[in-house]
Amino acid sequence: MSRPPDTGTSLAAEAARARKRRRERSRRVTRHALLIAWTGFIAFPIFWMISTSFKDAGEWVAWPPHWLPHAPTLHNYAQIFAFGALDPTLSRQATEQAFTIWKGLGDAVLVCTSASLFALLLGTFLAYAISRFNVGGKYFRHTILMIRMIPPIVVAISILIYYAIIVPYVTSALFGVRISLFDTYVGLVLIYTVTTLPFVIWMMLTFIDEVPYTLEHAARLMGAGRVTVIRRVVLPLVASGMVVTFLFVFILNWAEFLLALTLTHPEVTTLTVLLNKFQSASEGRLYGPQAAIGTVVTIPVVILGLLIQKHLVKGFSFGTIRK
Amino acid sequence: MAGIAIKSLVKTFGSYTAVDGISLDVRDGEFLIMVGPSGCGKTTTLNMISGLETPTSGEIVIGGRVVNDLEPGERGLGMVFQDLALFPHMTVFENIAFGLRVRKMPAAAIAERVMEAAEAMHIKPLLTKLPKQCSGGESQRVALARTIVTNPAVFLMDEPLSSLDAKLRVDMRTELKRLHERLRATFIYVTHDQAEAMTMADRIVVMSKGRIEQLGTPLEIYNRPATQFVAGFFGTPTMNFLEGSVIAGPDGPRFRGAGLEQPLPASLSRNSEGRPVVLGVRSEHVVISEAAALPGTARLLEPLGDATLVHFDAGEGKSLVAKVAPSTALAPGAPLKFGFAAEHCHLFDAATGLRHS
Repeated sequence: MSRPPDTGTSLAAEAARARKRRRERSRRVTRHALLIAWTGFIAFPIFWMISTSFKDAGEWVAWPPHWLPHAPTLHNYAQIFAFGALDPTLSRQATEQAFTIWKGLGDAVLVCTSASLFALLLGTFLAYAISRFNVGGKYFRHTILMIRMIPPIVVAISILIYYAIIVPYVTSALFGVRISLFDTYVGLVLIYTVTTLPFVIWMMLTFIDEVPYTLEHAARLMGAGRVTVIRRVVLPLVASGMVVTFLFVFILNWAEFLLALTLTHPEVTTLTVLLNKFQSASEGRLYGPQAAIGTVVTIPVVILGLLIQKHLVKGFSFGTIRK
Repeated sequence: MAGIAIKSLVKTFGSYTAVDGISLDVRDGEFLIMVGPSGCGKTTTLNMISGLETPTSGEIVIGGRVVNDLEPGERGLGMVFQDLALFPHMTVFENIAFGLRVRKMPAAAIAERVMEAAEAMHIKPLLTKLPKQCSGGESQRVALARTIVTNPAVFLMDEPLSSLDAKLRVDMRTELKRLHERLRATFIYVTHDQAEAMTMADRIVVMSKGRIEQLGTPLEIYNRPATQFVAGFFGTPTMNFLEGSVIAGPDGPRFRGAGLEQPLPASLSRNSEGRPVVLGVRSEHVVISEAAALPGTARLLEPLGDATLVHFDAGEGKSLVAKVAPSTALAPGAPLKFGFAAEHCHLFDAATGLRHS
């Protein structure tokens, strides 16, 4: 770096530097202001949801809006977490219908966990086959993602016809037993597994491609069979990738609404479907309990994220294997 | 202990022929080095011996048994890979133990064998470390320990030293040679480095374009290269080549071309006369002296310490290299006289590249 000699020119240089500093600072301030504004814009619905979840019925749609509840209450939570019949003290004039979260929570956890695990298991092996044996040809991996570009609504109705009409008809005709997939755990797990499989394959491909194939060759030369090679060499090296993929797919399933709405009712109710019930309740919109459920639904995702943060960083940076 | 016989081995990838019908006998306990430029088919051949690639046709026999249909793990081989292929998620101990664990050996016996191998390779302090905590040379030893622990009759090595720096590479050469002496197993070693091949091999296989160019001891290959390719591949600097033809002289055959004439060994067969040929002379056999017959001009001097390389113009724009004593008085631009020692002239057919003799 060359500095001008310490004469009259240095004053001009000093002024130029000062101008540059000022310009940089104002740029920084502008940038932060914009980002803060954007964060506020993004975070406001979450804030409003949490705030509303602590408001009593009168405050939900008060004007001017109550940014924070004037009379904070746990009524909404007590209501959604109630066991059995609703305590009369919790029952409001407007809310005679009990909306407890337990059934929806249980169903959602069951369906999302099993569907994500199935998809992870299947997808990992499929990705292995595609990565190592070029199954399906050179462009197969791109084709897989393309499947996901079809809007779910397009398939929802045809799946409904399969689940509710064709499958029961065929099974009763062939085996004499009418088996319906409509409104069953199996049916929902199946469709969730299928819809998330492309993501699992795509994500696991990036991780498996990273494992040098010479590691597998070395293991095979030492006498390990294919299964041992996968179990002892490949899977341990993509484990953190599998955790990341599971989380990603779990969140997708956790937030899925359209297929669950179309393919279930009234037996199986996931949380997103449960939330929707508040919208159409004849008693009016029950924003309070809805916000409470919304808050509760968000929590597991945040907790999962925090728990596997280490793996998440490792997984997304794709730096797990030193070559 | 096992010898290996390769019979008419062919491997094609689509329309590309990587290995074009090679046959080779590797003696029991031999250190055989396959050398050639990248893409010559040496690694593919090695992978077919190991079972990682399936031959398109041909037969591989290890220790008297045809192994074409055997899994890699059933062939009794050990292999060291170019990237070493240490399992990054296992400690050094587990890496070495892997092959024994797969064989369902009892834990006590595994510990004993791993200790032995670690002792032999001087890596005992590393056993609890992960591969990424080991240096290049240490990783190399771990990979070797992992290979020797299962007592294979045949060791396959695919450019195992290419990731090391120059000094370590030379040290490891000695170490490998010593290991071979101790184990007396059959070693097949693939490299593109001719110096590595010269220093370690009992015999060298020179490959080019999927075929064997020459098979012989290092000195045979250096002193009597079978083709122009082999002649050019071995030796630093590369052998000098001059194009011309053979004519009958008063005192025997002579080479004429590139503006010069050179007497040739009298042993050269008479029917070489009149054919287009390439004359090959190694730099150390180019003589620069006042008594020599041919004029030239020095262009560039490269002192190596124990010798000096003189690049000079030999007329007709032909540039040659001579290896001379380090205390040469030559300077760039200075005229010089040069000649070739007739007994060290190699003659190759210009069309086929085959040696005339």
